[in-house]
Amino acid sequence: MSPLIEVRNLAKEFRSFKRREGVLGAVQNLFVREYVTIRAVDGVSFTIQQGEMVGYIGANGAGKSTTLKMLTGILVPTSGSIISNGHVPYRDRRRYTRHIGVVFGQRTQLWWDIAVVESFKLLKEIYEISDVDYRRRLGRFSEILNIGEYLHTPVRKLSLGERMRCDLAASLLHNPPLLFLDEPTIGLDVVAKERIREFLKEVNRAERTTVLLTTHDLSDIEELSRRILIIDKGRLLFDGDLAEMKKRLARYNQVKFFLKDRSQIPRLAEVTSNGLALERVDELTYIMRFDRDEHSSAEVIRTLVNRLEVRDLLIEEEPIEEIVKRIYLSGEVG
Amino acid sequence: MGAALLVREPSPRSYRPALLGTLRTYGEFVRMGFVDTLAYRLRYYTGIVTYFIYVSVYYFIWKAIYEHGTAIGGFDFPQMMTYVAVGWIIRSLYFNNIDQDLATQVSEGTLVMNLIKPVSIQGALIATALGQSAFRLTMLTLPTTLVLFVVFPVRRPASLLQFAAFSASVVLSFFIVAALNFAVGTLAIRLLSILGLLRAKYFLLELLSGLLIPISFFPRIFQQALNFLPFQYISYIPLLIYLGKLSGAAAWKALGTQAFWALALVALGDAMWRWSSRKITVQGG
Repeated sequence: MSPLIEVRNLAKEFRSFKRREGVLGAVQNLFVREYVTIRAVDGVSFTIQQGEMVGYIGANGAGKSTTLKMLTGILVPTSGSIISNGHVPYRDRRRYTRHIGVVFGQRTQLWWDIAVVESFKLLKEIYEISDVDYRRRLGRFSEILNIGEYLHTPVRKLSLGERMRCDLAASLLHNPPLLFLDEPTIGLDVVAKERIREFLKEVNRAERTTVLLTTHDLSDIEELSRRILIIDKGRLLFDGDLAEMKKRLARYNQVKFFLKDRSQIPRLAEVTSNGLALERVDELTYIMRFDRDEHSSAEVIRTLVNRLEVRDLLIEEEPIEEIVKRIYLSGEVG
Repeated sequence: MGAALLVREPSPRSYRPALLGTLRTYGEFVRMGFVDTLAYRLRYYTGIVTYFIYVSVYYFIWKAIYEHGTAIGGFDFPQMMTYVAVGWIIRSLYFNNIDQDLATQVSEGTLVMNLIKPVSIQGALIATALGQSAFRLTMLTLPTTLVLFVVFPVRRPASLLQFAAFSASVVLSFFIVAALNFAVGTLAIRLLSILGLLRAKYFLLELLSGLLIPISFFPRIFQQALNFLPFQYISYIPLLIYLGKLSGAAAWKALGTQAFWALALVALGDAMWRWSSRKITVQGG
């Protein structure tokens, strides 16, 4: 089966002009301009199959939004190629965008001063959605996303979470086979995040909608996608299964333990004597991290319970934040 | 399964013919422009006052000038007052902010949200502006007309036929202004900051369209040059039709030239969009 999205050696350079400071600098700027070229995306390749839900993660400025903007046909790549859903996005922008849905978390596609439903009606005409489909989907989205009560409110009066849910519904009204989301949960509270994640899972399952989402909230990824792409400084550092990444790269386990009472605090020094690092969560809660190759969990727990009075303890895998942080630091995988 | 098979149609394409579909899509943008302006209807009460003040100022200036003569540049005083008043009345209709809107969208990065839609940006902006103008017709143009006709010696149109031709001419003025504004607005994509340019364009347009003074007041050489440019077709030509100074074959020819300019400027805007849109940059990694 040929992939839905095929990205090969994609690169994007921005040229921005370096501003000098001060009055003298400003005058100088008028006549002599110095340009700096930034390679925001630097030779990225990947393919995505239909029905996949892929997380694209990276720190701020890593190049993930720039990649997404090339995938949606907004930006023209400096070099490399994209074939998405049978189109070269920037070249056939109008034909291509008919079959994609896009949400940019920090912006809205809804008309700011008028009721949400007016924007939906506009989308109905733009995508030529039949009355039956429009009513059915709007009904379903209103139910799952719980936006029915906001439909007649001007967008500017909505909270961020309410607006985001409306934006999500807007991006899916025409039931596109391909959905791009740029930071869809940014700035949202836990409940709102959860609702959006559930909705995305439902759409991906029921319609086989292919979803590519960028985020720097790794809990999004853990909830949503089996596959992740990690980008840093414009380069792809990792492309693969989330579970695979954990298996290959999770070097540390951690034991979180709760002391019985304060009298135990002075004795903490004893357990760190064998070179294990201790992290304090609060007065009575601590985390001990250890390399899985050097120590077994049983051995670490034995040490702990022998020397301390522990009320409770918990063995955890290393959080994926930590793994990703390590990938960023080393700049490579493995 | 080939890639082509994955293209899922949002609804069957045969649902309606392509041209009708396009018309309904942009018709919807017209409606959005109308509804969107409704949110700011209060602004138009001050608009009526502003237009009244403009025309009053011109009334006193021209009154002083006409103390010493009966006709200047082919206009007598009542004709001149009609020219000024009707000039401002139609300005309230053809006027739009497409250039500024586009510049703002570029600087704020909101242009992105239009680019992800399968529509022509120029078409969407012009259609929205048309909806705004339709709204202004009721909230600004008609009340202003009423006030100006009551207060100042403004003449009625030369004839019903002239009025029909004048109305068609104003519609074409709208498209000339809209397409011109779009073309100028696209410069924001490459130049980023064009506020100075827009201000210069604003004053130049007021002068060269004939809004401030009739083109027949200009030196002959300017008049000849302006014949080859679209600007006088915005205000001067529709006003001549209103006054009956252009009629019959000459009026038809003027309308045809207006239509030509409207189409030419739309084509220019389209070309400029294509030239600029590859250079779109958006903030944010």
